[in-house]
Amino acid sequence: MTDLSDALQEPWSDLRLQREAVGLGMWFFLASEVLFFAALFCSYAVYRSFNAEAFRIAAAHTKLIYGSINTALLLTSSLTMTIALRAATARLQRMTLFFLGLTVLLGLAFLVTKGLEYYGDIEEHLIPGSTFPLKPAATEIFWALYWVMTGIHAIHLTAGIGVVIVVMLLFGREIVPVQGSTMEGVAIYWHFVDTVWIFLYPLIYLGGRT
Amino acid sequence: MTNGDRSAHRLWRAPAWAWVVLMLLFAINLGSAFIPLGNGNVILNLFVAAVMVVVLAIFLMDLQNAQTLVRVVAVAGLFWVVLMFSLVFSDYLSRS
Repeated sequence: MTDLSDALQEPWSDLRLQREAVGLGMWFFLASEVLFFAALFCSYAVYRSFNAEAFRIAAAHTKLIYGSINTALLLTSSLTMTIALRAATARLQRMTLFFLGLTVLLGLAFLVTKGLEYYGDIEEHLIPGSTFPLKPAATEIFWALYWVMTGIHAIHLTAGIGVVIVVMLLFGREIVPVQGSTMEGVAIYWHFVDTVWIFLYPLIYLGGRT
Repeated sequence: MTNGDRSAHRLWRAPAWAWVVLMLLFAINLGSAFIPLGNGNVILNLFVAAVMVVVLAIFLMDLQNAQTLVRVVAVAGLFWVVLMFSLVFSDYLSRS
């Protein structure tokens, strides 16, 4: 196993401080990401406040089953990511790699489910434009926000999956020691992507079900 | 039970409980969407979502053990969001 001193980077005097610094840096980045997504959520809130009935009609056409499966998948992936982080801190390399692998699989399952959902949406012409089937016209605003918000979320998740795979390769080849600070940043980013989905799910999928 | 088993047990037990709570809250959100509450539906759904995020942030993102500076940065992000929503809606909701 890689020596503990290999995990320590300049200018940190101990690993605890280094982990805290990585966590703090990632939280700064996430604070900016929060504002990026909040602008989209704010647009949604403004349009919904003026078109409540149209948003109710439009939301009833989203695929609840796919959205719900994806919520369960992402919540479970946050669990496996947390266990991977704890295993890494305890210097359990094989356990870390196993749970990171599970996290990647859950993330990929999310993207496959999302792909099936998008396929169904496209089949039903639920893309704003001349063939859009719903009335009133403001339903198109909901569906425009649906594509933008879920699309940007999927891009974030894809980036997360890519980062986790790279980290697994670095850990597996012992280029980077598992007990270093790498996992700290990766885990916080992954949970953030989950957090965004937790708010997207009720706004996109749960409207108009009564 | 070996020491290794006990150690592994400690690693996943607390996060597993947080996951159970999150799945229960998710089930509440899904189930409540079919109960006709009018505007209460979206309010309840967003409240449950906010509770889910708090559970996730405290127990899975480990804010409970984070240093004060990290917590301040996390809350600062929320502060600007609240400010943005307040300014936007103070305009739209006050237009005649």
